[in-house]
Amino acid sequence: MLSIQGLKAEVDEKEILKGLDLTVGAGEVHAIMGPNGSGKSTLAHVLSGREGYAVTGGSVTFDDRDLLALEPEERACLGLFLAFQYPVELPGVNNTYFLKAALNAKRKYHGEDELDAVSFLRLMKEKLKVLHLDDSLLKRPVNVGFSGGEKKRNEIFQMALLEPKLAILDETDSGLDIDALRVVANGVNALRSPERSMLVVTHYQRLLDYIEPDYVHVLAKGRIIRSGGKELARELEDKGYGWIVDEAAA
Amino acid sequence: MSAQALKSDITATAPVPEASPFDRWLPATPATAEPDWLARIRAAALARVRSEGAPTGKSEGWRYTGLRTLLEQGFTAVDEPLSALLPEDIDEVLVSGLDAHRVVIVNGRFTPQLSDLSNLPAGVRISPLCTELAGAQTALADHLNAVAGEGAHVFAALNSAGFEDGMMLHAERGTLVEQPIELLHLSVGMDEPRIAQPRHLISLGDGAQVALIERFASLGDALYGNNALMEIRLGRDAALKHRRIQLESPSAFHISGVYLSQAANSRYDGINVGIGARWARTDLVTRFSGEYAECNLQGLYLAGDKQLLDYHLDVHHGLPHCASRENFKGIVHGRGKAVFDGLVYVAKDAQHTDAEMSNRNLLLSEHAEVDTKPQLEIYADDVKCSHGTTVGQIEPEMLFYLRSRGIPQALARRMLCIGFAGEIIDALGNDALAAYVAEAVGHRLEAVPL
Ligand SMILES: Nc1ncnc2c1ncn2[C@@H]1O[C@H](COP(=O)(O)OP(=O)(O)OP(=O)(O)O)[C@@H](O)[C@H]1O
Ligand SMILES: [Mg+2]
Repeated sequence: MLSIQGLKAEVDEKEILKGLDLTVGAGEVHAIMGPNGSGKSTLAHVLSGREGYAVTGGSVTFDDRDLLALEPEERACLGLFLAFQYPVELPGVNNTYFLKAALNAKRKYHGEDELDAVSFLRLMKEKLKVLHLDDSLLKRPVNVGFSGGEKKRNEIFQMALLEPKLAILDETDSGLDIDALRVVANGVNALRSPERSMLVVTHYQRLLDYIEPDYVHVLAKGRIIRSGGKELARELEDKGYGWIVDEAAA
Repeated sequence: MSAQALKSDITATAPVPEASPFDRWLPATPATAEPDWLARIRAAALARVRSEGAPTGKSEGWRYTGLRTLLEQGFTAVDEPLSALLPEDIDEVLVSGLDAHRVVIVNGRFTPQLSDLSNLPAGVRISPLCTELAGAQTALADHLNAVAGEGAHVFAALNSAGFEDGMMLHAERGTLVEQPIELLHLSVGMDEPRIAQPRHLISLGDGAQVALIERFASLGDALYGNNALMEIRLGRDAALKHRRIQLESPSAFHISGVYLSQAANSRYDGINVGIGARWARTDLVTRFSGEYAECNLQGLYLAGDKQLLDYHLDVHHGLPHCASRENFKGIVHGRGKAVFDGLVYVAKDAQHTDAEMSNRNLLLSEHAEVDTKPQLEIYADDVKCSHGTTVGQIEPEMLFYLRSRGIPQALARRMLCIGFAGEIIDALGNDALAAYVAEAVGHRLEAVPL
């Protein structure tokens, strides 16, 4: 599904990703952990096509296509989804209108008819329930005045609606209380399927208690320095990152 | 009906020795049966027009607003009423779903056969200004020019010298008019560039409440001009909601002024939307004649290629305890140009004034231009005043967020522009009107390369 090889990327001429390798197969859930500033969000942004990052080396293929050559909207239509670490507020842009535009853009890309109003509403209702979201949020401008938890749930709600092939969740758990965390995790788990892969960026084991990863990677200083099974996350929780970073440096 | 087919047969006024570039804007034949007081007002106004002439780039308030293209058009006064229009001819310019009492002004003249005042409630009187004047009403002598007198610019004087008709609206003390009153300026192009100068007099008695939806629209995209002037007097505790939607033809020239006098505890809530016209200048001028009055001026303008939209606001706080709020937003694209000049003057005695001004602009292209000039002149020491202006581009973060959800770039930019405009559109407070404006905004943005 996703294959990253030797990826190098810079921001403002400062190298952040320094030759990163990662392969994600269909249906797999990979957790990415690592110290602050190690490049986790940068990786998420480069994959989703955000401007301002210069890719200086390596390659990324997504379903056999050269991902880096595509515009962000095309990546999204092909099934890539990024749940933002900091969801953006869009004043004046109605949430329902936004969701409909996104869904229909994707359908149009795949040569499907736009969803009629009734089917769209039905679909939204169904997904709202899973995420315990109040439908008043749909009438408001996207993310404006949403609480931190509501913003994160709104991200997962969008994911549920758009049904991506590869979802990147960038610290979707941070700022959530335990109930919200459970709701979000349930939302994510409801979407797990043999065709859908996930890249879960987190600092905490507690999210991984709910969303069990197949693999755990440690990203430090722009590289994956250690990969393992879910027990690696537990080890990190106990011992921190220092020992791995030191070992990698040695 | 083809507007172009209407032939005019009156030649221009003979040049007078002492002339101004605007003499041909005045009707060729002076209106007969006008009361003396009006003749005196007109003579004084004409004298002023001739002595001042056209403002130049050096004139106060005209620095960013070139008059060359306006003067080049060779406008002449509309010379005959267009009486042939039928109600079905104007269907295309109506706001669908808008329930309103309606006055239609065609090329500057009150046109009863297109208007609908059949359900006007008791306590409100609406009539053509020309019939009021023909009735030699001395009452109007106190009203006309009472608000838009001395301080107003030369186009106001020009309107005084040349107006032939308009709407007179009076709501008696305590009247509540539930349905809005629509004042539609409909312009129809003639065989040569004509300019209309309608004059409107609005007065609300103490405690009266009215919603007025003023619109400027055209049949076809002809070249014509409007120099419209409205004087509004609000009695104590009166409230006027005033919506002004300027959707003139893209070739049109538009000048309009709203001169407002507010008695104690009155509320004026005005929203100006400017989308049409090639060249448009709007002046909104407020004076308070009593304490605890409130004036709220909001606006939205969309200026594109070869378009100039200019708003001049002038709020004078001469008395204590009044509040004014100005919130204008603009989107400028292509080689469009917009001007926002907001003056709030707080006199020494106007303690406890609450004044807030904001002007935010979104520039969509490298060549778009906006000249924003907020001016707060404060001479009182116990006041709450603030102002802020911004001129910026679409936020890359917001654009990326939308694109990351699969929304194509052009649509994403359009969504953000409409979102930016949404605050003002929502404030219109009338669903039918909001839908109409939203569609006009969307339609315009669809034509813009984004
Ligand atoms: N736009 C930018 N301009 C300059 N430096 C940047 C920019 N974006 C990211 N960086 C730098 O790149 C490095 C990696 O940042 P990134 O956000 O990818 O870290 P992260 O692993 O997601 O951290 P965290 O766990 O705190 O979210 C940091 O040193 C950060 O300061
Ligand atoms: Mg991060």
